[in-house]
Amino acid sequence: MFGDQVRRLAIVVLLIAGVTLLVLAGTHNLRSRQRQIQSQQQSVGSAAPASASSDGGGDDDGDDPMAKKMLGKAAPGFTLVDLQGKKVSLSDYKGHPVVLNFWATYCPPCKLEMPWFQELENQYQSRGLVVLGVDQDDGMAVKDVAAAAKKIGVTYPILMPNSDISKSYQLGDYIPETFYIDKNGRIVDQTVGAHSRDEMQADIEKAIESGGE
Amino acid sequence: MTLLGAMFLAVACISSSAPLMPRACAQQIQFGLTPAAHHGHVELLSDNVQVIAGVPQVVQLWFRVDDGFHINSHKPLDQLLIPTRLQLELTDGVKVMGDTYPAGSSFRLQMGSGELMSVYQGRFPVSVRLVAPKGESTLNGVLHYQACGSASCFPPQSLAVRVALSGQ
Repeated sequence: MFGDQVRRLAIVVLLIAGVTLLVLAGTHNLRSRQRQIQSQQQSVGSAAPASASSDGGGDDDGDDPMAKKMLGKAAPGFTLVDLQGKKVSLSDYKGHPVVLNFWATYCPPCKLEMPWFQELENQYQSRGLVVLGVDQDDGMAVKDVAAAAKKIGVTYPILMPNSDISKSYQLGDYIPETFYIDKNGRIVDQTVGAHSRDEMQADIEKAIESGGE
Repeated sequence: MTLLGAMFLAVACISSSAPLMPRACAQQIQFGLTPAAHHGHVELLSDNVQVIAGVPQVVQLWFRVDDGFHINSHKPLDQLLIPTRLQLELTDGVKVMGDTYPAGSSFRLQMGSGELMSVYQGRFPVSVRLVAPKGESTLNGVLHYQACGSASCFPPQSLAVRVALSGQ
């Protein structure tokens, strides 16, 4: 009789200990996941000031989608075709600061940024600024891309992509991705995700001033 | 299962992020939780469903979108956006008669003019009307979707869908 009670008590104690351990493990794991998610949300595609100010280029950034792998490097040359079928090369704009923006029709943040690029191109036209958009839709017809660009309200050149440019600019999985290139063809900033108009303007001014007047 | 055992499993399932128990929980509630990270930000939760053999019925297939991300609903508000769509194959004598999707929730981009979108976030079901044979069969297909975070987007993806049906 007494032995049964002790055994039951021992089982209950063991169960409580087990349950407590599981709850603690679950809570710990949940907090860890929440921290991870917060970190991801802060880094991937948010208009994080850090992305506009840090200057840590280089190739040792692993799979970090925010890594500025091309920062400080010479912008790789390319020749693509615009929506009218005309060949456009980066070298056509030698001596100009260039904004190279990768976007897609399915990307709402891209479509919010693009009218700002248009406004800024108009604003800095006298200082030679050129904005080039590179469409990243897979297999979309040129006329559909043209219709989307018209709907978004941009008139700067929209270029159709090829696989070479994705490789040469080491594009990640996320768009928009934008490269700010100075008059000497050097990449002075690289951003992933949409940014505020003020940050875009600051990057453009950096590209203009970096190349010298 | 004893009462104490059921209590133990229930608590374990509540704290299902604990690495010890996800399989037991999955079997209990028929969710095929995949704890590993999924590259495309969406995972299939229902990988094992019990059905009544030979009778038309609706089976809900549940999916989960990663926290901090959303995908377009089946009927996005902007025609340029890519709708979420389940494409099923006919296999093992399973007859699929149609599918229905939940309405999306409203989501406004927290930047610029704040475009309003119709999206799925967190868990969402796709209801499939089907007739399954007696015994084991498999529902195969692909979920087409396109995911975005708060200020960036991921290319369109195709998630393989494979659901074991147990016809009773």
